[in-house]
Amino acid sequence: MNYMPGTASLIEDIDKKHLVLLRDGRTLIGFLRSIDQFANLVLHQTVERIHVGKKYGDIPRGIFIVRGENVVLLGEIDLEKEIDTPLQQVSIEEILEEQRVEQQAKQEAEKLKLQALKERGLSILRADTLDEY
Amino acid sequence: MFRFQSLEDCPLEEEGEGLHGLVDEDDDIDQFNDDTFGAGAVDDDWQEEHERLAELEEKISVDHSSPPRQPLPPHNLSSSSSKADDLADRDRYLDSLLTFGGGANENLAESISKLVMNAGCDFEELRDPAVMRATLPQPRTPLNSSIWENPMGFGNAKPLMSQAEDSPLMSIIKEVGLPKRSALGQEEGRDLSERVPPPRSSSPIIGSPPVRAIPIGTPPKQPLGHNLGQHQQILCPTPIHVRAPLPQQFPSAFNDRMSPNQLLNVTNSPLCAHPFSSNVPPVLSQLHRAQMIGAAQSGHMSPSHFARVSRLAGNPLTAVNPKLLQGRMGQMMSPVGGGGGFRPFFSPAPPHPTQCPPGHLHNLHSQQSMFRPDTTHLHPQHRRLLHQRQQQQSRSQQRRGQNGTCDRTHRHGTSQDRSKRDPYSNLMTSREKEWVCRIQMMQLQSTDPYLDDYYYQNYFEKLEKRPSPLDSNGDMPKKEHTKLITPQVAKLEHTYRPVQFAGSLGKLTVSSVNNPRKMIDAVVTTRSDDEEKREKQVWNKRRQILYTIEKTYSLLLDIQDFEKKYVQTPDDEKEALLEQRKSKIMDMFENLRGKSTDTRNSRFPDDHLVQVMCIRKGKRLIGRLITYLSIEQAGVVLTAIARNLPYILKKDGVDEVLPWLIEPCSLVIHHLPSGQLTDLLQDLSGLSGATELNNSNTNQQLTRVLQSKFGLTLLYFILSEGERLQSSDDTSELMEDNRWTELVFGVTRELLKIPAASLARPAFTPASLLSLFSRYVDRQRLNLLEDKLQLSSRPR
Repeated sequence: MNYMPGTASLIEDIDKKHLVLLRDGRTLIGFLRSIDQFANLVLHQTVERIHVGKKYGDIPRGIFIVRGENVVLLGEIDLEKEIDTPLQQVSIEEILEEQRVEQQAKQEAEKLKLQALKERGLSILRADTLDEY
Repeated sequence: MFRFQSLEDCPLEEEGEGLHGLVDEDDDIDQFNDDTFGAGAVDDDWQEEHERLAELEEKISVDHSSPPRQPLPPHNLSSSSSKADDLADRDRYLDSLLTFGGGANENLAESISKLVMNAGCDFEELRDPAVMRATLPQPRTPLNSSIWENPMGFGNAKPLMSQAEDSPLMSIIKEVGLPKRSALGQEEGRDLSERVPPPRSSSPIIGSPPVRAIPIGTPPKQPLGHNLGQHQQILCPTPIHVRAPLPQQFPSAFNDRMSPNQLLNVTNSPLCAHPFSSNVPPVLSQLHRAQMIGAAQSGHMSPSHFARVSRLAGNPLTAVNPKLLQGRMGQMMSPVGGGGGFRPFFSPAPPHPTQCPPGHLHNLHSQQSMFRPDTTHLHPQHRRLLHQRQQQQSRSQQRRGQNGTCDRTHRHGTSQDRSKRDPYSNLMTSREKEWVCRIQMMQLQSTDPYLDDYYYQNYFEKLEKRPSPLDSNGDMPKKEHTKLITPQVAKLEHTYRPVQFAGSLGKLTVSSVNNPRKMIDAVVTTRSDDEEKREKQVWNKRRQILYTIEKTYSLLLDIQDFEKKYVQTPDDEKEALLEQRKSKIMDMFENLRGKSTDTRNSRFPDDHLVQVMCIRKGKRLIGRLITYLSIEQAGVVLTAIARNLPYILKKDGVDEVLPWLIEPCSLVIHHLPSGQLTDLLQDLSGLSGATELNNSNTNQQLTRVLQSKFGLTLLYFILSEGERLQSSDDTSELMEDNRWTELVFGVTRELLKIPAASLARPAFTPASLLSLFSRYVDRQRLNLLEDKLQLSSRPR
């Protein structure tokens, strides 16, 4: 059934597996169960997927209700191609550790950069302070 | 939007065979809704229920004082069928109580817990506030955090908590339900069917608290998937997902109040409403604990589960003999393995009088709740079946995934088939989908698509233009562009007239989105022209000019939109559209003339136009609108500009917008008739007739014009246009006109006079200039001019 000819509508994506990227950078994968006109989403059997390098880990999240404004990106997952991913699945603990390490490295790099800039008399607004607005 | 609509409607909108399955579920779903939203539960007389429960409380305490194993007198537990209905109601009520667990029903909850404690515990120990806290169902922080943060990190803390919370209610239910069962054994079957929940309610995932210790936010659940599907729904007689979160609310109460050691003890403590102390062998308690842990780990915790299994455990034989219990369980589960389905709460297996003497049951009500329901309790055969089914379903799901594109055809399979694959599909009914679509389409409605959705309209225009090369290809099937068709709904009248009844005071106000309530009764009065004039006089002149420019701009935009509209309107309306356009253009012209009320025939009033031309935005405006004016009007405007060019040039020093006007002006010049062209040249050069020709004084105006890029380029255009007219055959008119010749002479002389350095660089040098000058000057001067104007630098 074509609900809205000529437009993009999430209605046709219902009950399919979707990947949703949220504004805070989280990636959710789950079955889209319900939507509304604000793109509020109800995801079912959701997993939060964390990617670090070539590895990824899934954290089961159950039912996830996403307020539409937080959706950055949403797309259906091709179940056929899902398996052919070059990425390697690892345990949750491992991926969390990897993520932590990555974030730490990032932070340190950021700190170094900030310091270097400071020495040169420059200062930039940090990204995370901007996020709050 | 996520409202529960009466599900009876759904099948009508379902396609194909999906209908049968849903129709079958109708009753269940209604039951479910009632349970959840309280039609059956909340509508009951609350007080009556309370009193009845209070009665029960008394009863139990009386009970308690009597020897534990003595059966209750049969008349206490009513055997009449009407009473049984009441009890069923109460059961439902308790369900709802669980559902809305928190503070709302605190009174009742308190009394219940008290009642249970009375029944099961030593009265003295009740004084312990910590215990009281633990047993009172009050919402707390989620279980997750407390488990993770619990310094002890005991896996069995959780089952303990839920037990503390569950048991009061469960024991009441036992108290109430068991006699009914014994008295009304023949009605079991019906009861059972009523209690089977709809598939939607049987979410194994939602109902399962997390167990594995993962140190982040929401702990993971066991990935059970939805595959448990049908078995699960039979296993859980009441909607799980509504109640399940409750157990998670308690642990903090323990954490707050109890030391780890205390907490440990609670497992065996009689205080948790489980008289599990003296009369139960330690073996059993060990078993229970193991089971509880198992239950927690399996991730299936729900009161209903609990109810089911604990009822089974209500057998005194099982209570004393764990081994027998196991055997008994197996016996009772085995029919499931055979496909008969598990018997849910309140609809027990066919009575085995020897094994389940009804008289004994009530004594053990509190012990019953010690058993944790979970898959570990399932008969191995049943578990194997579940597992098999799970695998099957995951396989079929995979298959479906591979056929992802053919999903639609799959949907037309039998309803059973569908529910096997994805029992949660179509959670959004087609009615709800349509509702969303309609709302979204409503947002797309527009009375002026070009204004509201400019880019979309242009995109589709482009698309429509493009496919022609694709068509010529022939073989390629033409890709159809889906075009948005918005429902054409007549624009609603927004004037709101409140309904008023004769003889009534006040008005009945009914407001909606389309008819918002009138908050302010503001009266719009049109001001008279006099007022406007007076106000305008207060304005300073510059503001007035700015205002004129803005007004003219909006007129200009309107006129530009007419082109779009013209293409869209049907032929018979095009005439009117053209008329409108003409009048708007006229308005624009009038705006440039200013408010002067001179007769039309009089000379164009320069003043206003010059003011407009002194403002950057005004200059741009002229550049844009001059091509829309009629030739005559444009000529008039251009002449006025030319006449006042020195002044305008002086004002343009900073802006330098005038060169921007060259192109539109050249277009106008190109179309000017010879008479007007001569006028223009005259006004531009400031040479007024023969008298000045002899005057050797330098002409200030012309000098300035020649020194400016815009002026010089304009002059070139005029001259070359004149040359074009002259060289073409039918323009003897210009030749006959002495004025033109004289003017050109004057201009040439001025050009020769002016030092080359002060001559501006023109934006464009027409090629015909040299031939023009050759007519008016001798050879020597021509060369001079050629050098000066760098005419020769252009390839001829």
